[in-house]
Amino acid sequence: MPSWSDFEPFIVSGLALGGVYALSGVGLVVLYRATGVLYLAFGAVGAMGALIAYSMIQAGTPGWVAWIACILFGGVLTLAYGMLFGPPLAGRDPLVKAVATLGLTLILFGVMDLLWSSSGGQARSITLPTDTGGFTVAQIQVTWTQVLSLGLGVLLTVGTGAFLQYTKLGTGMRAMANDRVITATLGVPVRRVEAAAWFGAGVLGGLAGLLLADLVALDATTLTFLVISSLAAALIARLRSIPVTFVAAIVIGLVHDLLTPITQLTDYRDMTPFVLAAIALLWVSRHGTVMTRSREEA
Amino acid sequence: MTQTTAERKTDTTAAGLGWAALRRRDNLVRFSVITALLLFTLFGLPQLLSLYYTDAMTQVAIYAIVALGLGMLVGRVGLYSLGQVAVLAIGAWAAARLLFATTQPFPVVVVEAGLVTMLLGTLIGLPALRLRGLYFALITLMLSGAITVVLATVNFPNGGRGFTGYDGALLHIPAIRRPSIAGTDAAYFRYAVVVAIIMFALVFAHIKTRPGRAWAAIRQSEPAALAAGINITFYKLWAFALASFITGVAGGLLASADRFLYSITFHPQDSITLLAVVLMGGVYSMYGAVIAALLNSLLPAALQDWGVSQDWLTILFGIGVLQVLTTAPAGIVDQFPKDMKKLGRLLWRLVRRPVTAAAPATPGAASASAAPSASGASRASRGGTT
Repeated sequence: MPSWSDFEPFIVSGLALGGVYALSGVGLVVLYRATGVLYLAFGAVGAMGALIAYSMIQAGTPGWVAWIACILFGGVLTLAYGMLFGPPLAGRDPLVKAVATLGLTLILFGVMDLLWSSSGGQARSITLPTDTGGFTVAQIQVTWTQVLSLGLGVLLTVGTGAFLQYTKLGTGMRAMANDRVITATLGVPVRRVEAAAWFGAGVLGGLAGLLLADLVALDATTLTFLVISSLAAALIARLRSIPVTFVAAIVIGLVHDLLTPITQLTDYRDMTPFVLAAIALLWVSRHGTVMTRSREEA
Repeated sequence: MTQTTAERKTDTTAAGLGWAALRRRDNLVRFSVITALLLFTLFGLPQLLSLYYTDAMTQVAIYAIVALGLGMLVGRVGLYSLGQVAVLAIGAWAAARLLFATTQPFPVVVVEAGLVTMLLGTLIGLPALRLRGLYFALITLMLSGAITVVLATVNFPNGGRGFTGYDGALLHIPAIRRPSIAGTDAAYFRYAVVVAIIMFALVFAHIKTRPGRAWAAIRQSEPAALAAGINITFYKLWAFALASFITGVAGGLLASADRFLYSITFHPQDSITLLAVVLMGGVYSMYGAVIAALLNSLLPAALQDWGVSQDWLTILFGIGVLQVLTTAPAGIVDQFPKDMKKLGRLLWRLVRRPVTAAAPATPGAASASAAPSASGASRASRGGTT
């Protein structure tokens, strides 16, 4: 068993990872509540945004332009998907809507592999200026990127919660989560609220892609499947509660990284999100009555 | 008239099975076409194909079984599994381990691999089936991710000792053995096709009898099925076990087809591609599984042969999924004949147009439009013919 000091650096990296999972998990939950779509292309969108930013930086574009391009790409692509495929699938089962986003995932996968072929073997990376600076807490090196990741996770969780609670648009989204038809009857511009949700989720996807490309690796497959981890957090929250999503994301990030120094388990640490989500799903469904009340989830 | 109703009655009582069903002309034609195609596949095809395409067609036969299992889950029961490739990997692992460890005949090993996969699939399915719809799909995605991680760490057996049968220090890795009667690639192709036929027959027998009707009821509406006295959990579990079994058998075939197994062969992304091709092929028909397998295994091989990047195929599958879900839920197997019929009608109209324009129109049609346009005339002629 490794000593405590071996775990210390992984607390920081785990919290940072958890922060990114939290902000993508929150994006997934908000979009699901507002539109009924579980956006499985979230990771692929972020990965493609990060690759675009990488290419722009390679071509000599200033860093901040590339980062904004990455985030905007996520927002615009997601909005376009929502506008194109949202209406024809609006009346369908949530499952069908989720599977349709897998179609988008495959398209993005093919495009990414075609344009940024991985066969060359060169490792791509994005470095943010926050990587170099940092500070030390109890002999643990903390970079500003890690602070930024956790900070954004917290900020977005609180911000989204407040947004849903206090703004008109947020109220509209909450209303649509309950009943789309009644909401439309009451005069809420349903399409516009949905568009806002799509764009917001896409922006979060781009942001998550950028941060993960810096924290973990810039690789299409890795990034796409890393976001399954945030999906796990969203699932533990039963695609409903934003605070639970945040806590679950932080726990997943922490457990994942804290398993690294334990030699017997280090190879299995990538199972963390899957195992935690599976246990959580089975726990909430132990009476067999969960998720049958709402028509939307039946 | 009475004879046809009598025939229809025997048809429904025999539930499409048995020789009575063959007395209907439609079924007889269909049966002979399928038999001819199968005989050609078994005896003609290996002679015509190069070694490269024989191997590709072996993969098609194997993946047809996998697609059949997934198509059955999606189309008949309404369970979307996003982890079928992980199930396939379990089957391949079990078969490889047994083939190295024992000298049992190959068919026995394949059935055992199927049973092991069925057992594991059922154990996983038992809790997972409490979830429905979206949540079931996601938990299978999660579990397949976890299984992939385990397999990447444990590795596939390569002739080593111990339970895992993997020895990283092994210099000479023995190939996974094949059945004695199917040592060559052409013979193994025939072997795989025969196994696939048996699996299709197994699923067909299920669909046409009691479990198939129970699944149809469950897919339509779970509350209604429950009200009709159907044990939902039992039949869902049955479907899951059957799909796991045939996928495990396919895994056994795959182990001996590839001869060397690596964990990177079974990537979670492939489960998504598999669902895409199964949806594109058509989940409501068993032919859809064959089309799905051709899309999944033959097209990539052909593209590689022609020097085209596989990525175009991935993009095409993505577009295909979106298209199937928005406009053509029954997939290619349903859409293609319809489109062909439309095309045929269009061509027929183009051919007929000069004739109808020359011949005097029927009095009714002439009075309806004083100056009949070309489309009007063709519409009138169509009305006359039908």
